[in-house]
Amino acid sequence: MVTLNKLLNVPSATDPDDARRRRLLNILLISIAAMTTLILLAVILVTITGLEEFQMQGLTLPIACLLTLVGIVIIYAINRYWSGQFAGALLLLILIVVSGFTDTPRNVVEGRSLFLFTIPILMASVILLPWASFIVAGLSSLVVSAIALNALQAVPPVPTILGFFSVALVAWLSARSLEDALRDLRILNLELDQRVQDRTRELAAAFSRNQAILEGIADGVIVFDNTGQAIVANPAITSLLEQPADRITGSNIETLIADKMNADDQETLVALLKNRETHHPSIKFGWGDKTLSASVAPVHVASGKEIGTVAVFRDFTREARIDRMKSTFVSIASHELRTPLNAILGYADMLQENVYGPLSEKQSGVLERIVANTGHLLSLVGNLLDQAQIEAGTLTLNTLPLVPSDLVKDVIGVMDVLAQPKGLELTSHVADDLPPTLLGDRRRLQQILINLVGNAIKFTEEGKVHVRTYRADDTHWALEVSDTGRGISKEAQTYIFEPFRQADEPLVREYSGAGLGLSIVKQLTDMMGGRIELESELGRGSTFTIVLPIALPA
Amino acid sequence: MNSSLALIIEDDYDLSIIFAEALQAAGFEAEIIRSGDKALEWLETSAPDIVVLDLHLPRVEGMSILRQIRNEPRLAKARVIVVTGDAALADSPFLQRAAVQILVKPVTFRQLRNLARLLKLSSRRFQHD
Repeated sequence: MVTLNKLLNVPSATDPDDARRRRLLNILLISIAAMTTLILLAVILVTITGLEEFQMQGLTLPIACLLTLVGIVIIYAINRYWSGQFAGALLLLILIVVSGFTDTPRNVVEGRSLFLFTIPILMASVILLPWASFIVAGLSSLVVSAIALNALQAVPPVPTILGFFSVALVAWLSARSLEDALRDLRILNLELDQRVQDRTRELAAAFSRNQAILEGIADGVIVFDNTGQAIVANPAITSLLEQPADRITGSNIETLIADKMNADDQETLVALLKNRETHHPSIKFGWGDKTLSASVAPVHVASGKEIGTVAVFRDFTREARIDRMKSTFVSIASHELRTPLNAILGYADMLQENVYGPLSEKQSGVLERIVANTGHLLSLVGNLLDQAQIEAGTLTLNTLPLVPSDLVKDVIGVMDVLAQPKGLELTSHVADDLPPTLLGDRRRLQQILINLVGNAIKFTEEGKVHVRTYRADDTHWALEVSDTGRGISKEAQTYIFEPFRQADEPLVREYSGAGLGLSIVKQLTDMMGGRIELESELGRGSTFTIVLPIALPA
Repeated sequence: MNSSLALIIEDDYDLSIIFAEALQAAGFEAEIIRSGDKALEWLETSAPDIVVLDLHLPRVEGMSILRQIRNEPRLAKARVIVVTGDAALADSPFLQRAAVQILVKPVTFRQLRNLARLLKLSSRRFQHD
């Protein structure tokens, strides 16, 4: 096969079309040579075997065959080493001549040998140029006409000539469309090559840019494919995890974290990588004596298909230490702050109970203000401590039996001191379809109520504040605080439960308070498995409702 | 045994004053001792009717003092009111047996006085038996 190709192809061809034509010429030459050789062999065979019917008249056929072969070799040589066009033209001329003179003039002009001329006409379009078929058609017409005039004394056969030119037309059109198609294909090929080249260059540039970014990032980055195997790991992660890069890539997340993390953390991290919940996209865990934080996100390609997960690890040790210090500080500070505050309240209590003698009205009044303010301070400290505990995740509820009516009574008792100076009416109602005893964290429920009632009193200039508990449905009970105060705008309703926010910010800090109250209320309610509802309109008061699941003592 | 004697074991100055005044308002005579060791010393020679004990004393563990009081048959009649800042301790079965009441801080004057009044009433009834 290789040798055949070597025979057929002309290495010195100048352009693809020329190469193609010369190659086709070679194919034709070799085909003719093969046929001629076969005829020659047949003749020899017949002569040897001496079969009567097939005896030839003399040596014309063998000589013709030999001459043909010689001619073919010459044309082949010309095609290969000089010019394909010359070789082709030569072949075509020979074919025309042969077509004209291999048979009787009558047969040539009117008979069966007429069709012989169509062969060179067709070939011309393919081995020379598309319109060469017309030239060959013309030459063939001349030859046929010459023979007709000369040997037959007849007029040049016009239909024949038209026929030749029709064949030439067909050949020209076919060859042309073929060559056009081939040329378009070649151009397209070049374009595609160019595009591939450009794209490859772009990708290489982007890749090395991304590589540079990955190498420069201070945080550790690992990309996992969909089977959980690490496929990319940047230098920072190797120093963070204290493992060489080649150990990281190719391993599963489980093997990576096996010996350095405790079991619970391992489970959480693996689950996080598998699920990538958008709620908790990051976790913190211990790694050896460091604390690391990991955030996880899915990786999509442009078509939207998910091809893996990227995990970013950061050394959180310092922040974790600071967090712990903050929690410790806040809990110590809160405890330290509460002790003297309780002492103040204790003494105030004693004075109010006339332990050291009766008090004048003014003395009594001032004492009430001292108690109110101290209570306020205590609740602020309580809020701060709870906020810090909630942030650190260490706040736990003390669920014990409590009596809802007592709870409400106590709160009213405390808060009345604040309502009275403003001339507000503070009322309460406990529904009788509530169980007399419930399970709950009394101190925290009290805190919630005090926060809500305190707010209600704060933001109401006249009218009343009403505290109500009732049965919300079969499985829930509700605590409700409603007031006839200034109300809360729809806009403010969206953010007042956030820590450190107040409804009237940022314009006027008319009302004191760190803005922690409602956020604590919400967080405590959430922790208790309940929900908080707010109904309010500017200028028409507010109603806060806490709905909690009913839990009965055993 | 003096049925109107109360021992306050509390190291915080203000709280000790408030507790003492509360017991006095209930009709008791109040003795304040601000250290656990000194309190145990004092208890060797006196048998109060009520002991108000803060569990979080410096240097000596309040629980061990409670145990010692309960282990002393001479002090069997003393009723101990335990004061603590830790709400979880309220569940301790030992405390529930050893103390007549567990109060979680902050303890108010009124709260302690009312409790002491109740205890004084019940001891009087006890005495009449």
